[in-house]
Amino acid sequence: MVRFEDVVLRYGQGPEILKHVSLQFDPGSYHFLVGASGAGKSSLLRMMYLAQHPTAGRVALFGRNVAGLTRQETAVLRRRIGVVFQDFRLLEHLTARENVALPLQISGEAGARSDKDVEELLTWVGLADHMDALPPTLSGGQQQRVAIARAVIGRPSLLLADEPTGNLDDRMAVRLLYLFEELNKIGTTVVIATHNESLVQRFRHPITRLSGGEIAAPGGSAAAEAPA
Amino acid sequence: MSRRRKRQAVPLDRDASGRYLPLLVAIMVYLAALALAGAMAANKLAARWDSGLAGSLTVQLPAAPPGAEAEGAAQQDPALQAVVDLLEQTPGVVTTEVLQSGEISALLEPWLGEALLIDDLPLPRLIAVTINPDQPPDLTVLRRAVLAAAPGSIVDDHQRWLAHLLDLAWAVEIMAIVVVAMVLSAAAIMVAFVTRMGLAAHDQAIELLHLIGAQDSYVAKQFQSHALSLGLRGGLIGLACALPTLYLGRSLLERIESGLLPELALRPHEWSLLILLPVASALVTMFTARVTVLRTLARMP
Ligand SMILES: Nc1ncnc2c1ncn2[C@@H]1O[C@H](COP(=O)(O)OP(=O)(O)OP(=O)(O)O)[C@@H](O)[C@H]1O
Ligand SMILES: [Mg+2]
Repeated sequence: MVRFEDVVLRYGQGPEILKHVSLQFDPGSYHFLVGASGAGKSSLLRMMYLAQHPTAGRVALFGRNVAGLTRQETAVLRRRIGVVFQDFRLLEHLTARENVALPLQISGEAGARSDKDVEELLTWVGLADHMDALPPTLSGGQQQRVAIARAVIGRPSLLLADEPTGNLDDRMAVRLLYLFEELNKIGTTVVIATHNESLVQRFRHPITRLSGGEIAAPGGSAAAEAPA
Repeated sequence: MSRRRKRQAVPLDRDASGRYLPLLVAIMVYLAALALAGAMAANKLAARWDSGLAGSLTVQLPAAPPGAEAEGAAQQDPALQAVVDLLEQTPGVVTTEVLQSGEISALLEPWLGEALLIDDLPLPRLIAVTINPDQPPDLTVLRRAVLAAAPGSIVDDHQRWLAHLLDLAWAVEIMAIVVVAMVLSAAAIMVAFVTRMGLAAHDQAIELLHLIGAQDSYVAKQFQSHALSLGLRGGLIGLACALPTLYLGRSLLERIESGLLPELALRPHEWSLLILLPVASALVTMFTARVTVLRTLARMP
């Protein structure tokens, strides 16, 4: 599903943020990506949703090397990937409902049935009363839940969530992680970047730890089981 | 469930371009409409002069010998009478009319003044000849015969004059087409510029759309539908402003001399040409926006 081989990343002429990272996430697996702030978790995810090219090494998604993809192929691939951005990236002039429906609209699946899906999902993440609110009028945690709903509405094959619970209280955080769990059960590969270690401990999933630009405790199929 | 107007993913309707672009397009469509109307008027003038003059000749005899210039000159001037007889017997000639000296001096009056005594001036004598345009007489033969009957006379078929006029009308039409083409290109350049600004202003939203799987054409669609409505709005405003101007121009022209000018009212096909202008401006802005977006995005990494 996701395969990195000797991936090096540096921004411009800066230092190497990631040094020779190799990893493999199998289809249907569930991974936590942990590490201190600035360790490079977001950078790693950015390469997974094709917003960033590696400086060196190979990145393959869905069994395809992403280096030679055309813009068209990139767009098609991205439709199978749901992303919760660390900074949410909601469109501020659209309501919560419209933001969540956006991926469906882009992939041409928007319709009466999908409208119902959007409402159900927003209700599930506790935003039944805020469906027509604009993002700037929502709290950080509410915006984060809109972002999560937008990431999962299209039933992606790969879900990449960057600090998806950073602004949520523990009860809501656990509730959302169960949502990801449910998605994982129906086949979605889930990768969650977080530094909330206590949350990670509640779920028995492999942990990939980034430290000093390298993978300290590799997760994935060939990796050792994460400490419980 | 509330079913409100579908909002665009890229909020272009909040940009300042939405206010200025229609105005600029309006000005350009206004200019194009005037140019087109001018071309159509020139075309009509040319057509009228062409058809009016193609069926006529003027035979000009040298000034009459003294004492032969009274009314009924034809009877008293054997050369004039001979030419008239000759013309009337020529196949292809429909009518002949000897212009009386009164008429000639009336024609000259604006230049020479009323006080002129016609007798003081040796005026040439003119015969207006109507010919059958389908079977015109042989001009070379006719010229030779008229010269033999009245030495020094001239048979003028107006072709030189007409050719110059037609050249002029043609030049006006070409100029109008050039003006319309330039106006449309200026509009296109403007829209390309405004579209680039829009792409820069909304790069965050556009990047997000790309990240969740939007094709470039999805983004282009947002820009092009926005540009279409701005271009159409501007075009309609421009045309609406051009109509009173055209009406004013027409009434001023008609006051000059109704005999010289053709009926300037627009015919249906000319109306549709003018109405096509806002449509053209809308299409030009739409396609320019689309092409600009696609080309700009394709150059991104
Ligand atoms: N666009 C960028 N240009 C230059 N440097 C960057 C850029 N993005 C990130 N960095 C640098 O890369 C390093 C890793 O950043 P990254 O955002 O991947 O960390 P992170 O693990 O997600 O941190 P956090 O937990 O705080 O989100 C940081 O030192 C940061 O300064
Ligand atoms: Mg981060």
